[in-house]
Amino acid sequence: MSAHATSAAASTAVIVGASSGLGRALATELARRGQALLLVASDARDLQALANDLALRFEATVATLALDLAREPDPGARILAARGELPPLSALLLPVGLSLADDDFSLPAARIGELLSINLHAPHAIVHALLPALREARGTIVLFGSIAAARGRGRNVVYASAKRALESLYESLRQAHPPRALHVQLYRLGFLATNLTWGMKLPMPASDPADIARHVAYRLGKRSFARYLPRRFALVAAIVRALPWFAFRRMRG
Amino acid sequence: MPPADLRGFALAEARLTSFDRQFAADARIQRPDRYRLLDALPPQQRRIARGGGVSYVAASFGDDAVSVDMRAFDRLLAFDIHTGLVCVEAGARIGDVQRFLLPRGWYLPVAPGHPRATIGGCIAADVHGKNPARDGTFRALVEELQLHVPGRGLLSLDVRHERDLFDATCGGFGLTGTITRATLRLTRPPRAIALRRVPVDDLAQAARVLREAANARVLYGWHDGRPAHFGRGVVRIGLSDDDARPRKHDASAARDLPATIRPLPLPLWNRHGIALADAWLSRRWCKPGLDVIDLTEALFPLNDARLYFAGYGKAGLAELQWLLPHPRFEAFAAALTERVARDQPRIALISSKLFDGITQSFAFDGKGISLALHLPDPAQSSQRAFCEAVAELAIAHGGRPNPIKDSTLEATTMRRAFADFDAQRAALLRHDPERRFGSEMTRRLGL
Repeated sequence: MSAHATSAAASTAVIVGASSGLGRALATELARRGQALLLVASDARDLQALANDLALRFEATVATLALDLAREPDPGARILAARGELPPLSALLLPVGLSLADDDFSLPAARIGELLSINLHAPHAIVHALLPALREARGTIVLFGSIAAARGRGRNVVYASAKRALESLYESLRQAHPPRALHVQLYRLGFLATNLTWGMKLPMPASDPADIARHVAYRLGKRSFARYLPRRFALVAAIVRALPWFAFRRMRG
Repeated sequence: MPPADLRGFALAEARLTSFDRQFAADARIQRPDRYRLLDALPPQQRRIARGGGVSYVAASFGDDAVSVDMRAFDRLLAFDIHTGLVCVEAGARIGDVQRFLLPRGWYLPVAPGHPRATIGGCIAADVHGKNPARDGTFRALVEELQLHVPGRGLLSLDVRHERDLFDATCGGFGLTGTITRATLRLTRPPRAIALRRVPVDDLAQAARVLREAANARVLYGWHDGRPAHFGRGVVRIGLSDDDARPRKHDASAARDLPATIRPLPLPLWNRHGIALADAWLSRRWCKPGLDVIDLTEALFPLNDARLYFAGYGKAGLAELQWLLPHPRFEAFAAALTERVARDQPRIALISSKLFDGITQSFAFDGKGISLALHLPDPAQSSQRAFCEAVAELAIAHGGRPNPIKDSTLEATTMRRAFADFDAQRAALLRHDPERRFGSEMTRRLGL
């Protein structure tokens, strides 16, 4: 038995962190829209299962690359090498991230390095490597920040730092490129119904990754922007930032 | 919130209720969405796989086990349009798989009534479809499966490799491991089903009609459960019709029966409600006739039964399902009719089916006629007493119960119904000597 991949897609989107959560939802949504895909995640078993599924359901052209972003020194080069016979690159989506429950100033140095590798080094390295091809295609880079980066707290310390650094990467990319040469989109995500929030009591409902994926796919290739998603988190972030310091210090959880 | 050290293992707590509402528990649920998370639980952690959560009984939670929710493993892995084989992950819902296959000229001939049942659940429960006498049970479709066993990893099983474990897993109620994927043999679907209605006066006549129509694609009876009309009903015989144009039917996923149905605050199935419904159904169905329907409509009749299940209210229902050998069926039907006249139970629905398989393990198969009885409020004393009386009658006539349907079954009943109970139990548990798998159902049944 074999999966069929017979799409006539004109361009390829790279999705890093594609095997679960928002990444998997993005892969499904873009395959539904006929986009060729290069899926990157850490476990070849998950990638192969997803690639077969998308090829069967949507006749999508899908290639995969298993990559341990916590340990890979040059993930961008690996992705470039894996493009193979895929159509030209048009989009890079980076819904990749790792958060740890004990990211509260109690992490050993190795774990801090792992968090920074996945949340910060990998997006930077991959953007750097793929930038020439994306410029040539007048393509789109989609970065995913987090509501956690709105204001630094005693939890998610390293994770939030890395996510805030992505805001700087977003600004750098936009500053360095004319609007029509490269589209740069930054989504600051609120709570998503993924395994990271499974079972947690959240102050507001978690969004379905499939809904977020539809939103992102619809705006792919359009202008540059940074926005909260779901949009109500813009208000949440504004309130958190506006809180006087004495009140913010008392926030727990 | 899950304990900090279990974050990332996707472990949480939730209140789970069996589909018949006879058992509820605060369960710990692990929801792996990647293969490596299958190994995240400590090897000795007691567990049980959970699919769509639509088993009538508590087959996927309870008994201090972590429920391993497999719904993220729902991908199609391979499909050969020429030979009719499909490989899917265990969490794929059978309704979704059929929706993929049918436009491509294939389908799974054995499918339970609920479209949200998963492939893994269908294998573990060895479910039957619309005519088990023709198509067998779900195990007949399984060419190969993959099983996750703590400490051993992912094992590939078929009739040539690890045959013993393969056999024990099909119909093994999840006690041998967590099914992760399966390769299934498909059948060419008819364009439409010509569904003929044959009215019957009683259960004995229904059995004769069922036996004469053994090769139909769809074959089952509906019967009135009221004492004055007990057994009267209709047998529906569905034959392939490749020339007819079926009536329009919305087969989209949006129409699938939900996994959880909110009960109506006031139950419908009191004596008056049952009388009204049965009278209406008798007038509508119990007359000769022919309908040409879409295959998906025939495969998932429960999609039209949302109000029916909600109507049981918070007290829920019990489905008693017994398979009676042919030589004893008429005597059983007569004794049951007599018992119903004496006890006057509330029975909301009776259905009959023909079986022509072999008896093995605790699977619901064999040669005979099955009867399924839906009883509202089974905890009520007179209803409960009737359930016990049915079990006594069925055992006295050589009947086999369906453990995956009947939450009133107890270990003592199982031991009496299965003469080789201890041997079958030992055969099942040989693959899990440390008892790392278990559910409320398997605890209740003494497995």
